[in-house]
Amino acid sequence: MALPNPALTQIPGGYKYGWHDDEKPLQIFQKGLDAETVAKISRVKDEPEWMTKLRLKAYRHFEARPMPNWGADLSGIDFQDIYYYVTGTDKAVQSWDDVPDYIRRTYDKLGIPEAEKKYLAGVGGQYDSEVVYHNIREDLEKQGVIFLGTDQALKEHPELFREYFGTVIPANDNKLAALNTAVWSGGSFIYVPKGVHVELPLQAYFRINTQNMGQFERTLIIADEGSSVHYVEGCTAPTYSTASLHSAVVEIIVKKGARVRYTTIQNWSSNVYNLVTKRAVAHEDAVMEWVDGNLGSKVTMKYPSIYLLGERAHGEVLSIAFAGDGQHQDAGGKIIHAAPNTTSLITSKSISRGTGRTSYRGLIKVYPGCERSKSTVRCDALILDDEARSDTYPYMEIDEENVTIGHEATVSKVGSEQLFYLMSRGLSEAEAAAMIVNGFIEPIVKELPMEYAVEMNRLIQLQMEGAVG
Amino acid sequence: MTLTQTASALDADAIGRISDRFSEPDWLRALRAGWWDRAAATPPPTGQEEEWRRTSLDALPRDVELLLDAPLLETHLPPDAAAAGVILTDLRTAVREHPDLVERFLGRTDGPGSHGHFWALAQAAWTGGLFCYVPPGVAVDGTLVARQTLPRADLAFHPISLVIAEEGSTMTLLEEIVSPDGAAGWYGGIADVRAGQAARMRYANLQQLGDGAWRIGAARVVVDQDAVVTTLNAEVGSRVTKLGLDVLMTGKGGTSKVLGLLAAGDDQQIDINTVQDLAADHTTSDLLYLSALYDRAHASFYGVTNVRRGTKQTSSYQECRNLLLSPEAGAEPIPVLEIEANDILRCGHGATAGAIDPTTLFYAQTRGLDPATAERMIVRGFFEQVVAQIVDETIRERILGALARRIGADTSDEIAA
Repeated sequence: MALPNPALTQIPGGYKYGWHDDEKPLQIFQKGLDAETVAKISRVKDEPEWMTKLRLKAYRHFEARPMPNWGADLSGIDFQDIYYYVTGTDKAVQSWDDVPDYIRRTYDKLGIPEAEKKYLAGVGGQYDSEVVYHNIREDLEKQGVIFLGTDQALKEHPELFREYFGTVIPANDNKLAALNTAVWSGGSFIYVPKGVHVELPLQAYFRINTQNMGQFERTLIIADEGSSVHYVEGCTAPTYSTASLHSAVVEIIVKKGARVRYTTIQNWSSNVYNLVTKRAVAHEDAVMEWVDGNLGSKVTMKYPSIYLLGERAHGEVLSIAFAGDGQHQDAGGKIIHAAPNTTSLITSKSISRGTGRTSYRGLIKVYPGCERSKSTVRCDALILDDEARSDTYPYMEIDEENVTIGHEATVSKVGSEQLFYLMSRGLSEAEAAAMIVNGFIEPIVKELPMEYAVEMNRLIQLQMEGAVG
Repeated sequence: MTLTQTASALDADAIGRISDRFSEPDWLRALRAGWWDRAAATPPPTGQEEEWRRTSLDALPRDVELLLDAPLLETHLPPDAAAAGVILTDLRTAVREHPDLVERFLGRTDGPGSHGHFWALAQAAWTGGLFCYVPPGVAVDGTLVARQTLPRADLAFHPISLVIAEEGSTMTLLEEIVSPDGAAGWYGGIADVRAGQAARMRYANLQQLGDGAWRIGAARVVVDQDAVVTTLNAEVGSRVTKLGLDVLMTGKGGTSKVLGLLAAGDDQQIDINTVQDLAADHTTSDLLYLSALYDRAHASFYGVTNVRRGTKQTSSYQECRNLLLSPEAGAEPIPVLEIEANDILRCGHGATAGAIDPTTLFYAQTRGLDPATAERMIVRGFFEQVVAQIVDETIRERILGALARRIGADTSDEIAA
C-alpha cells in the first residue's frame, strides 16, 4: 500500500490533496460570527451551561483584542467571511463502515484506515467541524486510556474534562486562541492513566473540505503520573481561491514523571491561514516534546510552548519549516523555565524556496530562582533562491544568574562546491541539492515515526525538483 | 539675554531663541526649525514598538533645564594633524569657523528609525557637540580625543557628534561623556558618522554619566565602499541607557566591526538596539556585545542583521554575551536575522547568558586567589574578547580604567601579574 503519510506529499505543480467533495453538508451555519453564532454552536452540541458561558466569555475577549501585527501578514483574513460550523455527520462512529460514504472516500484517498491497521494504536478523523471517526485499540481501552473526539469527551467524561479544559490556555489568551475557545468543535481528547505506556502512536487527521471554512479543533491531552504517549496529527485541505482559517488550540498536561510527544505534520493547501496555539505544562521530572513540521498553508503562525513547572522537567521543540512560493512559515517555540534544574532544547531547521519566507520566532524565559536551568537553542536556515527570505527572532529573558543559556544560528545557501562534489559522483543537480537539504533536516527527520521519515525525504526530493539550475 | 528652558516646554520659539543666543547663520536657523517640525511630527515611542518594549520612558526627566551654555569640549588633536586640515572641535565653534563644512554635513540624514523622535529633537535643540573632520587621504597619526564634562546632573543636553572621515583617510577617535552623580538628568546625544570610500576609522565612545542620568542616544554609521570601520561603545554609567545604533553598509566591499562593553550594577538598565544593514555586495559586518551585570542591573539587546535583497557575498555575525554576577541581575539578548538574499557568504548569530562557571571560580581559588579577586579576573577575561580588539593604547587604558570602577580596581595589573 501507499505510505500512510496523509500530510506530506506536496508535489510541485500540483497539491495532491487539493480536490474537494461536492457533497452538501448535513448542517452549515451562515458565514460570520457574533455572540448568537457562538451560543448556537453550543446549543447544537447540547453542551452544559458552563461551556456556553466560557465560549461567550472567550468571544468577548476575541472581539476586544487587536489582531497581532508583529508577525506574518494577516490582512487576508475576514472573520465575517468564514463558516464557523459545518458538519456532514451528527456523531463520531467507531466503525469505518458507518462513516458517511463521501467522507469515507475522502479518507480512503488519504490512506487513513490502512494506516490505523498497520501501525497506529488509535486514530481519529475530523472533517470540517466535527470528528467523524474515532477508534482505539481494545487493550488500551481496558487499561483506561481515553481517546475520543473532544465533544464526545465533554459528554462522556464531564468531570475529568472540566478539571483540565482551559487550564493551560485560558479563555482570555491571545486573540486566535480566544476565538478557538469561543467556536471550538472537534479535536482529540486523550487521557492516559498513571503508569500506562501507550507504545504505538495515536493519530488524528484533520481535513477541511468546505470553502471559506474555519476549522477550530480543540485538543486536550492529559498524561497522568509516570505515563507516556505519542500523538501524531496531519492536516490537508482542498485548494480554493479564497482563504480558509485553521485556528486550533492544543493543551497538554504532562504530570510528574510522564512523557508526551506531539508530532504535527502540517500540509494545508496554500489558501489556508494556519494560526495555532499549542501549549504544554510539564511537572516534576516530566518530559514534553513537540515535533512540528510545517510544509503547507499560506501563512502559518505557530510557536509550540512548554512551561516547565516542576523540578527537572525537560522540554524540547523540534521545528522544521519549508516555505515555497508565496508561503510564510512563521514558526518556532517557547520554553518557560519556572522551576530549578529544568532543561530545554529548541532545534529549528527552515528552508525557504522561490518567494517563500521562513521566520523562526522563539522565546526562552527563565524566572528568578530557577537555578541550574539549562537551555540551548539552535536555528539553521537554508535559503534556496534569490527571492526567498529567512528571519530569526530569538527572544530570551533571563532573570536568574545560575543558568546556562545559549542560542546559535546559521544561515546558508546550498554551496556550489557541495553541489559540484555530489555531481562529480554522478548525481543530477536536483538530486544533489535534495540530498543536501535532506542532510540539513536529518536531525529532525530521525525523530519522526519511520513511515513519516521516509515520506519526508521523498517529499523534499519532490519539492527540490527544478529548484536549482 | 538669558533663556531658561525646560526640555518638556520646548517649542518653535525656544528653538529660535537657541539660534539667537548663538547668533547662528540663517541656514542653521532654518535647519533647526525644519527638524523641530520633524520632531513634532514624529511621535515619541509609545512602548508598543518592538525596540521600546523593554524600556519605559515614563520616568524620563523631561522637566529638567536645557543646558544652553555647555562647557566647550576638551579636545586633543595630535601635532601635525591640524596642519593637515584635520578639525576636532566643539560643534558651536565649528559653525563659526568652518560654516561651509558644517553646513555640508549637519542634519542631512535621518537617524535610526526606532529613535526618529529623539534624533529630530537633537537636530533641533542641540547646544553642543563635536565636529570631527579628516580630509581626503589624510592619515591621522595618534588618537583624537574629545571629552565632554557636564557641570550638573539635573540637566537636559542633546549634543550632536558629527564625525567625518573623507575618502582614503585614516583616523582613531575617542569620545567621552562624563557627568556628576546625583539628580536625574537627560542626556540625548546623537552621533552622525560617515566613513568615505576606503577610509579607515576607529571610533570609541566611553559613557560615564552620573547615576541619575537617562542616556537616550542614537548613532548612525555609514560605511562607504571598501571602508573599514570599528565602533566601540563602552557603557559604564547612567541610570538608564537606551541606545539605537545603525550601521549602514552602503558601499561595496565595506567592513565594520561593532563592539560593545557594558558593565552595569545597582539598578542600572541598559537597552541597546542595533541594525546591521548589509545593503551592498561583499560587505562584512561583525557585532560583539559583552555585558557584565552586577546587583539588580538589567541589560537588553535587540539587534537586527538585515541582508538586503539582491546583495551578494555578504558576511555578518551578531554575538551578544551576558555574564550574570548577581541573582537579581537579568539579561534579554535578542539577536534577529532578516535575510532576503541567498547568495551569502556567512550569516549567523549567537547569544548567551549565565553565571561564572563554578569550576572556573574554584580553579582560580585553588591557585590562591580569594573569591572576589577570582571573580574580577574572570570578568576581565570575559571582556578580553573585545578588549583584545582595541588596538589603540590610549583608548584601551581609558576604557579599562572606567570599567575598573565597576568590576574592581587594578584589573590590568592583576592580569599582568
